[in-house]
Amino acid sequence: MKFINVNKQKKEQMLFDQKGETYVVYFHNISGKLTFEITEPEIKLYIYGLYTGKKSDEFHIETIQLHKSPGSLSDLLIKGVFEDRSKFIYQGLIRLEKEAQESHAYQKNQNLIMSKDVFVDSRPYLEILANDVFCTHGSTTGKLSEDQLLYARTRGLSAPDAEQMLVQGFIDEVYQKVQSHNPEFII
Amino acid sequence: MTKQKDDIKIDYKYGFSMPEKSFYKAKKGLREDVVRMISKIKKEPEWMLAFRLRAYKIFLEKKMPKFGPSLAKIDFDNIYYYLKPTENQANAWEDLPKEIKDTYDKIGVPEAEKKFLAGVSAQYESEVVYESVNKELSKLGVIFCDMDTALRDHENLVKEYFGTLIPAHDNKFAALNSAVWSGGSFVYVPKGVKVKLPLQAYFRINAERFGQFERTLIIAEEGSEVHYVEGCTAPIYTTESLHAAVVEIFVKKGAQVRYTTVQNWSKNIFNLVTKRTHCEENGFMEWIDCNIGSGITMKYPSVYLYGEGARGEVLSIAYAGNDQIQDAGAKMMHFAPNTSSRIVSKSISKEGGRTSYRGLVQVAPGATNSSVFVSCDALILDEDSRSDTYPAMRIKENEVEVQHEATVEKLGDEKLFYLMSRGLSQADAESALVLGFMEPVTKEIPLEYSIELNRLIRLEMEGSVG
Repeated sequence: MKFINVNKQKKEQMLFDQKGETYVVYFHNISGKLTFEITEPEIKLYIYGLYTGKKSDEFHIETIQLHKSPGSLSDLLIKGVFEDRSKFIYQGLIRLEKEAQESHAYQKNQNLIMSKDVFVDSRPYLEILANDVFCTHGSTTGKLSEDQLLYARTRGLSAPDAEQMLVQGFIDEVYQKVQSHNPEFII
Repeated sequence: MTKQKDDIKIDYKYGFSMPEKSFYKAKKGLREDVVRMISKIKKEPEWMLAFRLRAYKIFLEKKMPKFGPSLAKIDFDNIYYYLKPTENQANAWEDLPKEIKDTYDKIGVPEAEKKFLAGVSAQYESEVVYESVNKELSKLGVIFCDMDTALRDHENLVKEYFGTLIPAHDNKFAALNSAVWSGGSFVYVPKGVKVKLPLQAYFRINAERFGQFERTLIIAEEGSEVHYVEGCTAPIYTTESLHAAVVEIFVKKGAQVRYTTVQNWSKNIFNLVTKRTHCEENGFMEWIDCNIGSGITMKYPSVYLYGEGARGEVLSIAYAGNDQIQDAGAKMMHFAPNTSSRIVSKSISKEGGRTSYRGLVQVAPGATNSSVFVSCDALILDEDSRSDTYPAMRIKENEVEVQHEATVEKLGDEKLFYLMSRGLSQADAESALVLGFMEPVTKEIPLEYSIELNRLIRLEMEGSVG
């Protein structure tokens, strides 16, 4: 199993070419165009991205999951929490070439908007040229759940504490997923 | 053992064409004098001519869309921009010219009418030639006629709304339509009137290289309800043909409009349509959009939610077979608080066909407590076909809930195996699964259309399975 921290490696083009290998990729608050190219079968690729926008932060991120060989899997999860006047512009593409039969490709983008002045633009694209595949993508953008906030407050938390707890829980999913592959992956 | 691919081509269901018998045909190509002449023949008021001429200039300036399938094959100089089939509109079915009647008989207009249709307005070539409006509708003050008649008899009403929602500079094809539009329907439903039976119009193109540029305007006043159904069938031709329609709908406070399209143009047709709704407080707009035919379709029905509590829905089906590209989708623009929208798209691609979902959801500042739900499912039936999903979500407000999901898959082997173990042939099992896949949308369509749609899909499915 291989772990790639994009923030440290600073590489935008990533090639995944070891048959049967599992890769875990992580990045935090980076802008750019990340290409994940799978050229061998039976590869498992997990991609986790985390964005925490404050003040006038602005992120433009594009991800491309490019499957060129059959029977591989890619699973992307990008979560973001945006405060103040921060901006998040995301475009994700799953592209399965003709040769990529029996592939599974997933893409999920979830964003929490904490202020009125935030701007989120999410474009999860799919281009599927093979037929024997399974692909899904999902995108949700919204605020913290009123019900959950209310519940936390009825248990005695102050409003800011309740909010912070929920945001922490939202972000923690990314950490937990990364470490579920190997607890030694430190981010 | 390898499976043998069946080469038998099923005849296109409506692939018949009547000899042309038109009273007037404009010269090919688009020039200012053609635009002037159309307006003159129709004896239009001065403002409409000015509108057309302005649109013509915009058309020349506008560039082709930069996204989606290639439209390079459209030869604007090789199209007739106006065609008038008969001198006058017939009031009764019996008065229609024989060829036109034959054409309709094959599609089944009279049968459809018998089945409790409120009114049938059948468009043959570029003008509505047959129209019967239910007497009760007239009594209620509902106006249902073709656009040319509306311009003559209800000029002020038309002038107030025409081109205000989709101005000529919206896009190149809206500009083209604005310059040379002809025919289409006009529907006006007064305050509080609920039209219980669907209003239908049949559209046909029956002249080679002839583009149809119909223009539809629907106004639903406060608290009214109406369902408009548009079905298209066209004969097969060998040269490219263009259909560029514009549909504008105004949904006033608390009104409900449902607009159903079953599009089954033959494969040589470019179907490039602009459809938009202006939806006010607590209004509800539903687009049900089924794209089965045409070579290339680009169509993204949209709802502009301007009033508090307004709702918009798009349910769409796209089917792309050999040599077809269905680039369809939806647009939802939220401008007011408590607005909600839902988009459900089902697409099927087969034999090298390509389907694309292209959508935009925008939540403007101030549209608090808005909710958006988008779901796109695609089926790819063989390895030559392709499916794309291009959604965009632009959120400028935090008090919102936006969800988007999409899946792409093939027909489940287990499901097929199960059905076949119960005695269904592979073709029957496949079409049963495809019809089931589309059902969430087809069940919303009036019965006779959904029967026809199911029949068409089954026909397309059977044509290919070896």
